[in-house]
Amino acid sequence: MTLAENLFENLRLELRRGCLTLAVLAQLRQERYGYTLRKALADHGLVIDESTLYPLLRRLEAQGLLVSEWREEDKRNKRFYRLSSDGEQIFNQLLQEWQSINTSIHATINANIDSNL
Amino acid sequence: MELLDRYLEAVRKHLPWQRQDDIIAELRANLEAQLEEKEAALGRPLTKEEAEDWLKQLGAPLQMAAHYQPQQYLIGPAIFPVYWYVLKMAFAWCMIIYSIVTVVQVFVAQNASPSALVEAVLRVPAVLMTTAAWVTLVFAAIEYAVTHSWVNLPVMVAPSASWSPGTLAPLANQADHGKKPRSYSQALAEVVFGFLFLIWLLLIPRNPWLLIGPGALYLNASPYHLAPIWLQFFWCIVALNVLQLGWRSEKLLRGTWQKPRTTERIAMSALGLIPLVLLLSVRDHATILLKHPALDQARYGAALDSINLWVYRSVLLLCAISVLQLSWELGRMILNAYRRRVAAGR
Repeated sequence: MTLAENLFENLRLELRRGCLTLAVLAQLRQERYGYTLRKALADHGLVIDESTLYPLLRRLEAQGLLVSEWREEDKRNKRFYRLSSDGEQIFNQLLQEWQSINTSIHATINANIDSNL
Repeated sequence: MELLDRYLEAVRKHLPWQRQDDIIAELRANLEAQLEEKEAALGRPLTKEEAEDWLKQLGAPLQMAAHYQPQQYLIGPAIFPVYWYVLKMAFAWCMIIYSIVTVVQVFVAQNASPSALVEAVLRVPAVLMTTAAWVTLVFAAIEYAVTHSWVNLPVMVAPSASWSPGTLAPLANQADHGKKPRSYSQALAEVVFGFLFLIWLLLIPRNPWLLIGPGALYLNASPYHLAPIWLQFFWCIVALNVLQLGWRSEKLLRGTWQKPRTTERIAMSALGLIPLVLLLSVRDHATILLKHPALDQARYGAALDSINLWVYRSVLLLCAISVLQLSWELGRMILNAYRRRVAAGR
């Protein structure tokens, strides 16, 4: 990997990190276990490695944003996650923040394109 | 699937023991569900090669387990700036103290030789590494205490939280009280020459010619010698120079060498009175003594009294000048503080 590619990869991961948390919280407004969550995110175009997603769920739970319970489904014990009440509140705040950032970035990019024309 | 079991067992080894079972059970459930779906799509079990490729995509067991660990630091980003600052200060003070101790040992003691000096220089890396190790150990312990909530972090960063823009050093192109601020090279030269002066000072007791040149021979041959009080006077002067050198080195390292040195000047003027008062306090002003009083008292007694009286008067005059200088500095400081207060009140 060249220096530029390495730099891009680091910046891309940095950019994705916060977005992935938001996407996971969004998906867990509905109860899911790890694998179905990963599939749901992938279906929406957000592919996450197992080694990133499963530990992320643990961290969000430790932070009080998620609650989980072990339950049997299809003859197999699975750990189901969903948003906690604190998680819902923080998710709404993050969503607003993300929409505001998104609008600002679009406006900035469009302003630059207009000035270049 | 045996390969998956082996993979999970390898991951388990790198997990914290309190959470091993829970994490492995969850990981197994997720991976088995994924495997089932893959096999259902293919309509057959995965071949060994396909299973290996799949597990390879998950990442090495150590890598997978590492994602479950909290981020760990020996010294975290919150404490690191304080650590770095303390480390630099510790290095500077360590070198100053080590240099002084070495110079005293090598020159003042009996074993002055070039090889002793070379040995002292070669010991420098070990001394610095020991200093760095201790500072790092202390800060690693603080980091541990902070991350385990034994210590409140705001206590550590309080000095930086209470900083005032008024304490910032003036710009290089701005005059302070009509004088041009000192440049970095000037401040560095002061420290370097201060250090050389200290070495010279420490060499004087065993090499008086460094101070009075050929007069040392005359002093040796004369019937007079210095009273023991001069040794205390000498160490007072050394202590003052060490203090000043330390003060200036610290300012240089902190980047505040351009700030006015009013406090330093006043402190040094006040402390400078101590050795003078020490000389004035000698009984009968006997700062110079006869080497052989029984033999020489009749011949040199009157001259000795006269010399001692002149030494006393000279020290008294010097003391009076120092007191005046100190009063002047204090008066100026009080006046400037009053002006600043008046200006701030406008």
